[in-house]
Amino acid sequence: MMRAQGLTKTFNPGTPIENRALRGLDLDIPTGQFVTVIGSNGAGKSTFLNAISGDLAVDQGSIHIDDKDVTRLNAWQRAGLVARVFQDPMAGTCEGLSIEENLSLAWQRGERRGLRRAVTPALREAFRAKLSTLKLGLENRLSDRMGLLSGGQRQAVSLLMASLKPSRILLLDEHTAALDPRTAAFVLELTDQIVADGKLTTLMVTHSMRQALDHGDRTVMLHQGRVVLDVSGEERARLDVPHLLAMFEKTRGETLDDDALLLG
Amino acid sequence: MSFISLMGALEIGLIFALVALGVLISFRILNFPDLTADGSFPLGGAVAATLIAGGYDPWFATALAMVAGAGAGFVTGWLNVRLNILQLLASILVMIALYSINLRIMGAPNVPLIGEPTVFSPFLPGEGDAGYWIQPLVLAVIVIVAKLALDAYFASQSGLAMRATGANPRMARSQGISTDRAVLTGMAISNALIALGGALYVQTQGGSDISMGIGTIVVGLAAVIIGETLIPSRSLWIATLAAVLGAILYRLLIALALTADFIGLQAQDLNLITAVLVGFALVLPTIKAKLRKTLGGRNP
Repeated sequence: MMRAQGLTKTFNPGTPIENRALRGLDLDIPTGQFVTVIGSNGAGKSTFLNAISGDLAVDQGSIHIDDKDVTRLNAWQRAGLVARVFQDPMAGTCEGLSIEENLSLAWQRGERRGLRRAVTPALREAFRAKLSTLKLGLENRLSDRMGLLSGGQRQAVSLLMASLKPSRILLLDEHTAALDPRTAAFVLELTDQIVADGKLTTLMVTHSMRQALDHGDRTVMLHQGRVVLDVSGEERARLDVPHLLAMFEKTRGETLDDDALLLG
Repeated sequence: MSFISLMGALEIGLIFALVALGVLISFRILNFPDLTADGSFPLGGAVAATLIAGGYDPWFATALAMVAGAGAGFVTGWLNVRLNILQLLASILVMIALYSINLRIMGAPNVPLIGEPTVFSPFLPGEGDAGYWIQPLVLAVIVIVAKLALDAYFASQSGLAMRATGANPRMARSQGISTDRAVLTGMAISNALIALGGALYVQTQGGSDISMGIGTIVVGLAAVIIGETLIPSRSLWIATLAAVLGAILYRLLIALALTADFIGLQAQDLNLITAVLVGFALVLPTIKAKLRKTLGGRNP
């Protein structure tokens, strides 16, 4: 369960480049729900995600994860509750460390790290089993450096890392945007599978309306730092991209001039 | 080069191997350009020499020198992570402050240790000068223990968290790693090792001097760079080995350059030789790559 109430965030307040990224954003996500988030550039998608993860402190409002007020906690203190996959395949993993070392870091997400060995033979076997589910042959490359993997492979491993430890909410930040269409499709399929297997509460930001409607149980549209559209169930099942676009225009009373949302 | 000067070079090389391990942690693992070394090396020397001259046990004095060095590194880290002072600047501030602190600790610009017991005393023969190889041997054991301890630490959960902090701090935080704490711990360990080097240095050189820290960081960096140029590797235990070997090789090269009469170099040319050596080590990878390219071109 995640509840965001009245979130506001202004970058560079009181300067000519002032940017009111969040303007009173409210969103409730019940346990187990998979929510997709769309919105044009500057709608506040990334700011919202960074606010939930703790990378950014909000100016006003509160964030609860499972009835726990995390508003004042920073990113590493929230990590036990929040799992995350970044847009940039380089951002979610350490390229200088081996695959098994990266997995070991995620294996202990949000836990105390002591002087015990980070990668034990037992753990290595567990990682091998997990990696083999990706069907990328990575189970035989445990000691290879992460930097040797392709972007798609790294994103797949990032997803696996996010699901190694239970989390209260999984954040996916346009995690297929940097991939070619085929790899993106593979990573998305993997996403659906991992979310379904773990019954994970998930928030996926995407750049494509198609993706937003095809995946998850509920779609939310952000505009100017607020939720302007929130569809789920029957209503959402009947929606198609042109409908979604029309609804958006009706809600805002203006024409959407961003072609990027139509693509994909 | 005589046997005695060879052993002398090996001795100082082993001491600077500890400095090199410290520099490896700050510059390479934490990605924290840290110049505190020029202050924490003489700090270790000052604490150890003053305590030994005051009648304390040399091992106790050496241990306390490490604690003092850890404190210095912690302050540099703290200035950076808590007060957001630029890494380089934070370390320069601590380095400058340590100059005054070291003078305060010693109470004079130098503290002689002639005739005082040292950590080497129990191993040295009572009479005669047959012990030239004993000090390097004791130092070698200390360096090997330090290297293996570091290797074990960086294979641990906490050590891996520190490596992630240096490599990708945002990812580290998203995995629940307190990057601030990792930086503070790493800086403390790094400067504790450098201060250990300083404490052993004064015990082999017969005293502590306020100016003994000048250029420590350059020598440490030189060792790390020479090491990783000669033995390039992504594996950490090889990187620590390379730093140790780099430090020893560096001192041997310096000793060779200074004792080879036909070149005509003198002791005051030390820093110039260092600059030339480091410069050479820095361009070596480029030269190697170019060479490979030309050779590859001729032999398709």
